[in-house]
Amino acid sequence: MAAATPGPRRAAVIGGNRIPFARQNGAYAAASNQDMLTAALEGLVARHGLAGERLGEVVAGAVLKHSRDFNLTREAVLGSSLSAHTPAYDVQQACATGLEATILVANKIALGQVDCGAAGGVDSASDAPIAVSEGLRRTLLRLNAAKTPAQRLRALAGLRPGHVVPQAPRNVEPRTGLSMGEHMAQTALRWGVTRQSQDELAAASHRNLAAAYDRGFFDDLLTPYLGLARDENLRPDSTVENLATLRTVFGAGEGATMTAGNSTPLTDGASVVLLGSDEWAQEHGLPVLAHLVDAETAAVDYVTGDEGLLMAPAHAVPRLLARTGMTLQDFDLVEIHEAFAATVLATLAAWEDPEFCRDRLGLDAPLGALDRSRLNVNGSSLAAGHPFAATGGRIVASLAKALSEKGPGARGLISVCAAGGQGVVAILEAK
Amino acid sequence: MATETLSGAPSLPLTLARAAVTAGRRRGGQLPDTTLQLPAATVDVDALHRYQRLCGWPVADVLPHTWPHVMGFPLQAELMARGAFPLPLPGLVHVANAITVHRPLLSSERLDLAVRAEALRPHRRGTLVDLVTEVTVDGERVWEGRSTYLRRGPRRDDAPAGEEPPALPEGPAAARWRLPGGLGRDYAAVSGDVNPIHLHPLTARALGFPRAIAHGMWTFARTLALLGPRSAGPSRSRVWFEKPVLLPGTVEAVVRVDGRWSLAGLRRPDGTPLLALVLEER
Repeated sequence: MAAATPGPRRAAVIGGNRIPFARQNGAYAAASNQDMLTAALEGLVARHGLAGERLGEVVAGAVLKHSRDFNLTREAVLGSSLSAHTPAYDVQQACATGLEATILVANKIALGQVDCGAAGGVDSASDAPIAVSEGLRRTLLRLNAAKTPAQRLRALAGLRPGHVVPQAPRNVEPRTGLSMGEHMAQTALRWGVTRQSQDELAAASHRNLAAAYDRGFFDDLLTPYLGLARDENLRPDSTVENLATLRTVFGAGEGATMTAGNSTPLTDGASVVLLGSDEWAQEHGLPVLAHLVDAETAAVDYVTGDEGLLMAPAHAVPRLLARTGMTLQDFDLVEIHEAFAATVLATLAAWEDPEFCRDRLGLDAPLGALDRSRLNVNGSSLAAGHPFAATGGRIVASLAKALSEKGPGARGLISVCAAGGQGVVAILEAK
Repeated sequence: MATETLSGAPSLPLTLARAAVTAGRRRGGQLPDTTLQLPAATVDVDALHRYQRLCGWPVADVLPHTWPHVMGFPLQAELMARGAFPLPLPGLVHVANAITVHRPLLSSERLDLAVRAEALRPHRRGTLVDLVTEVTVDGERVWEGRSTYLRRGPRRDDAPAGEEPPALPEGPAAARWRLPGGLGRDYAAVSGDVNPIHLHPLTARALGFPRAIAHGMWTFARTLALLGPRSAGPSRSRVWFEKPVLLPGTVEAVVRVDGRWSLAGLRRPDGTPLLALVLEER
C-alpha cells in the first residue's frame, strides 16, 4: 500500500510585517541586509505571538548580497526570537524574490509538507557589496594557490594599476549592458507611454500611500525601524505639476519620458509574510486574511529585442487567467509593481491591444481595460520605494489585508516584473 | 545622600586623565556620599549602531542589555576621579558586573542616569567597591547595573573571598573567535573608554600587562550577543571577569541554556576560564 499523502489545500496569508523603506544612504545606511531582515522578522514574531515557535520554514533572499551572507535567512532566524529549530533557505529571483518566496512556502503548505512558514526578502542599496576588479581577483586567486616564492612573484607580476579600482554593483543587465531604465525607455517608446500618464501614475502612488498611512492601514503591517515610521521616499504633496518639472533620466531626445519622479529610487528595506494552513492559523488564534489561489511565472527574450525587459508579466497573467478561468475584470484589486510608471502603463496597454493579444499571447480577444480605481489602491513602489527583494512581501501582505477589508471572496491580482526578463504573478482571494 | 545633577555627560578622556594625575593623593577612607545624575540623556545612535555591530548584535532600535552601562560609565569615572573617592582609578580592576533590565529600552527614549558608589569592603586580594548605575524613564526604574571593582592590595586571608564564579560548561566550543589586535581601539571608539590598557601593546605594557587586553564590557557584550535576543527583554545577568583576554588572541565560547536560564563563558583554547556569565530571563 502506498504511503498516505495529504491532498493539496490552499495556503493562507495570515499577516505580514515590514520595516519602512528608506532611501539609499538614508536612515538605514548603517544597517545590513541581515539587520533589516531580522528586524522585519522579529516584528512579525512579536505581532503574531510566535516567540519560541518552530515554523515550518522561513524563505527569503536579497538581490544585492555579500558572499558572506550565503545563509542570510537562516542567520536572521537565529537572530530572531523564533525557535532555533526553524529551518530557512535563501532564494533570489531579482525583484520577484519576495513573491517567489511566498509561492514556494505556500506550495509546501498546500502539499502538507509544512503547516506554516514565513516568506520575504530584503535589500540594501546602501550597504552594497563591493567587489575587487576581475584582474585583481584572478591575481589574488593565483597568489593564494602559489606554493613557491617564484610562483608568488609571478602571480604578483600580473598586477596592473587599474586592477585596484573596486567595482560597486551596477543596476544593469549583464547580457545587454543597458540599465533597467534604458530597457524600460525602449518599451515605453514602443507602447507610446506619455510623460503625462507616467507622472499621473506616480502622483497617484504617493497620494494613495499617504492616505493609507493616514487611515492607519499600515499599523499592523509595519514596525518602525531606526527612526523611520513611514517610507522615506513618500512625498504626500507630490503633484503632476511638480513631477512635470523634473528632467528626464532615461531615453534620449524628444522620446524621453522617464524621470526620477516616475521611476523607483534605490531603496533599503525588508518585508516578511506569515503563511499557514487554515488549521494552523486557527490553532494559534490567528485570523486568515486571504488564500493564495494560484501563481504563474513567465520569461521573455529581451536580449534579441523580441520583447521588453520588464514585459514578462504581460505574458504570465493571461496564462494564469486561462488556467483559473478568470478575466482581468474579475479582480476587486490589482497590484502591479511600479518598477517604473511606464512598466505599469505599458503592461496595461499591451493587454488592451488586439494585435499584441492575438499575435504575442495567442488570444482571440484582448484582455481588455482595467478599472484604474482598483489599481495599487494603497500606493506602490513609486511612493514606497523598491528594495528589490522586499517588494513582494510588501505587496502580498498589504493586498491580503485590503482584500480582507473588502470581504469574503474578494479577489486580487499581483504582478511583479523582474530583471532577466522575468515576471511573477499570483492571485489572492479573501477568506 | 547628596544628589548632584550634571548638565552633560563628562568627557571620558579628560576625566580619566584627571583621575590619573590625582591618583597618588588617595588616602582611603569613606566613600563619597554623592549620587551623580544626568537627566534626559539621549542615545548617540551612530555610536549605538557601531557598538551593536562590534559586539555582534543586529543594528536595531532596542538597546542591547549592556548599552546603558556605556552611557553611565562617564558618570562612574567622574565619581571615581574626584578627590573624595578613596581609591585611585588607574589600576582598578573590573571583576564582576550585574545588570537588571526591567523592560526593553528603545534608542529614542531619554534616559535619566544616576550613579553612586557603595559597599566599600575588604576582599582577600585587596578592596572592593561597587558603582551602581540606575536608569529611570518618566520616574520608572527601567535598568540597573552594579559594577564591582577591585583595588589590588596586600593579601588578606582573613577577608572574605567574595562569591566564586560558576564553573564553565564543559565540552566542545560553541564558538571560536579570533580577536584582532585593534579590538580595544575599536571598542574605545564606540564607548569612549580610552583606558590605555586596551589601546596598544606599548601602553598596556607600561601598566603591567604583556599585551593590550580586551575591554571586559566588550567580552561580556559579545558573549551575551551569542545568546541572541533573549537578553533584550526583562532579564538579569551576572558576569565574572576572571582573567584578562589578551589581544590579539583566540577565545572559545561555551554555552548551556536551560529554559529561561543560560550559562555562558569564555575560555582560552587550553581551557583556562576567562569569563563566566549567567543570564535569567524574566
